[in-house]
Amino acid sequence: MATPSSTSSVALDRVAAIQHSRLKARWILPASAGLLLLVLSWRFAEVRPDVLFRAATARATISFLAGLFPPDVSVNFLDTVWRALIQTVAIAITGTILSIVFALPLSVLATATLWRRGVLAAEGVPGFVFRLRSVGTRLARALLGFLRAVPDLVWALLFVAAVGLGPLAGTLALAVAYTGVLGRVYADVFDHVDPQPLEALQSTGATRIQIFLRGVWPQALPHLIAYSLYSFECCVRAAAVLGFVGAGGIGYEISISMRLFEYGQVLTLLLVLIALLTATDAISRYLRSRSGVNAGRVTEITRNRPVGILIHGYRRIGSRLLVAVLVATCFALAGFIPRTLFSAGIVGRFAGFALRMLPPDLSWSFVASFGTALLQTIAISVIGTFVGVGLATVLAVPATSTLILVHTDSPGNHRSASRILRWCLFWTTRLMLNVLRSIPEVVWVLICILAVGVGPFAGTIALGLHTAGVLGKLYAETMEEVPMRPVEALRSLGARPLQLLLWAIWPQARPLLTSYTVLRWEMNLRASTILGLVGGGGLGQAIYNNVQLGFYPRLSTLIVLIYALVLASDWIGERLRLSVA
Amino acid sequence: MIYSLKSVTKFFRQSPERVQALNDITLQVQQGELLAVLGQSGAGKTTLFRLLNGTIRPTSGSVLFDGSDTASLSGRELRAMRRRVGTIYQQHNLVPSLTALENTLCGALGRMSLLATLSSVLQPAKSDVERAMHALESVGLADKRAARADELSGGQQQRLAAARVLMQSPDVILADEPTASLDPELAENLTSLLAALAREGHRTLIMALHKVDLALRHFPRVVGIRAGSLSFDVPPSEVHNDLLGGLYAQHDKGPRSRDGDPFQYQLRCAR
Repeated sequence: MATPSSTSSVALDRVAAIQHSRLKARWILPASAGLLLLVLSWRFAEVRPDVLFRAATARATISFLAGLFPPDVSVNFLDTVWRALIQTVAIAITGTILSIVFALPLSVLATATLWRRGVLAAEGVPGFVFRLRSVGTRLARALLGFLRAVPDLVWALLFVAAVGLGPLAGTLALAVAYTGVLGRVYADVFDHVDPQPLEALQSTGATRIQIFLRGVWPQALPHLIAYSLYSFECCVRAAAVLGFVGAGGIGYEISISMRLFEYGQVLTLLLVLIALLTATDAISRYLRSRSGVNAGRVTEITRNRPVGILIHGYRRIGSRLLVAVLVATCFALAGFIPRTLFSAGIVGRFAGFALRMLPPDLSWSFVASFGTALLQTIAISVIGTFVGVGLATVLAVPATSTLILVHTDSPGNHRSASRILRWCLFWTTRLMLNVLRSIPEVVWVLICILAVGVGPFAGTIALGLHTAGVLGKLYAETMEEVPMRPVEALRSLGARPLQLLLWAIWPQARPLLTSYTVLRWEMNLRASTILGLVGGGGLGQAIYNNVQLGFYPRLSTLIVLIYALVLASDWIGERLRLSVA
Repeated sequence: MIYSLKSVTKFFRQSPERVQALNDITLQVQQGELLAVLGQSGAGKTTLFRLLNGTIRPTSGSVLFDGSDTASLSGRELRAMRRRVGTIYQQHNLVPSLTALENTLCGALGRMSLLATLSSVLQPAKSDVERAMHALESVGLADKRAARADELSGGQQQRLAAARVLMQSPDVILADEPTASLDPELAENLTSLLAALAREGHRTLIMALHKVDLALRHFPRVVGIRAGSLSFDVPPSEVHNDLLGGLYAQHDKGPRSRDGDPFQYQLRCAR
């Protein structure tokens, strides 16, 4: 089968030439574009690495870290923490319930297969009614997209301005923002149910409502429950930071303690926050794993505990009463008390606020003034993601158990000291990633401001740290989950861990890792519009200023701008993900 | 003596009970010997190969490679041992998203220094690429060098796995049913290729096979494994139908069920 070596060297040169030209064509252009983007972003985000190495920065950081200890565990303060914690959970629960209630009808309206395409729309000539339905569907979808695009913290700021400080504003903000998130997901789920049963129902002469209830709903329910649980998890995360704009919960206490330089209190609050988020994470993962969603069948889900209990148990009178009392308590804690709700003028104030935002201020002097803020926002998201990816890559490797921990079944004489060392390294990095991830961006902004002062640089570092936590965990988990057989094959021919990483794990994990990274950048762009609310630069600063000054028409312009920015990032992200896949 | 197994027993811990994969195997293999291993699927052949290539350790007994016990090797020594043993796996175990050429280059990883590893990601050393191309040519895959491993057919993947071992140029070649997905002609070719390779380089070849005729034609020593135990160890002239009948008896399904896959077990332990 062997060919003469002259042919082989010709073939070899050709391989080298092809590889070389492919390298050029595929990488030179995107690489230089990326580099240019980084350099520009570096400038606009006002990144000044020298600040990090100044004595003053070190002093401020050390005094902050020293101030954290001991954590404040006085009974008085713990009482405050407890109330804040309960309020946060209540806001999250109430916000989730309200968003489900609002999202369901809107998502039905936004479901394309129900109204304008697929089996149900196939009959007849598209007439006026069809066009009307079609426009309605698109409008509903656009509304959901808009609600989702405006960050929850901006909604909170608006509601604080409209109904005043307190948990009510926060709950309404979550309800509105997550109506957008859930409505969009619900509509997608409805859109992707198996159309064959719908066709069968239609042929029996069922009405559209009957088709929805008997055909679409049963297929969609398990997914709706899974996504709603996941959104509850996100709501808890969000509820924890709403307080930074005065909308109640644990975030409010953190911002107060930060401003009073009571770092001992800050540490207590952060520990409670990390515990809360970890617990929510675990509970929601447990519920989802038990809900049988992967089976995709309703019978599965209702039979399985504990989601089944949630559904079936509800049928019993006693538990109905209990649930009703619990929900009512949550609503009350979240600010839905008759005195506030029906107090004279709240509706008027609300309407007045909404009307004062119109029409948007489109004067050239204003529009021209926010150009820098816009570029700064984009720059923060780019550099923040870049820094986050770098840190995440470094941290993910020791957090990958298949690379670091010695397999118990491996031959060889592994000294217990080295085993313990590896074990410690693994768990230390996992813990670090968890802390980085659990502390929200805005809290990181406040901490970074202490070190480097107010401005976009603080926002950039904060975004980078949070991203490092999120992506680091995701990277490590992805690398652990690649098919292990090729890894074992390379290990058994004498490859070192680094070689396993470069030749077996990375090639298999690359598509997922890049798509996670692009998705994170999109989320970071959204996040960098709010960092300015607490002094982290970008558009958030302009939003905060205009709310404080009462320039509401300008506020609506800025919100429209954020919407456009998010739409653009969705589009770019989609293109990026397709090009790397 | 390249391998000396002394009453090797291997259990896989598995809820609710332990599953025995190998039971009291004693076996000696000389350097340069050609050995065929026969046995039903599930008889413990794959476990034996994973013990021989330094992937797992025995529950009791010892595996001596070139005179030293694999359980007592340091990390560095273990890598040096693995470098000398090349394995062709039943499921090929190629890196699916790498090209055929890159997968072949992987064979050289054990010899690369840390620096060479890093630079090889961008530009593999020219001498390595030449050797890899040569390995691909000798298995008839030179024209597929730029194809991704997961684009190749089952038979091509099997030959690519052989090319990786050629690239590694080990003292011992372990081949776990490499002919399973090949048609008779290719199976014959691959077997004679590996046998010739072993004879030329005075390498040891241990090969698990389904096809008894291949074993009898190419190997001077045939070992039978049944339900985790050594059933016979004879030259091919002494392999008779009643020996084979005992090996492939239908009523005995062997100790391992399908979900007792040792690989799944390893995955769980890695968590």
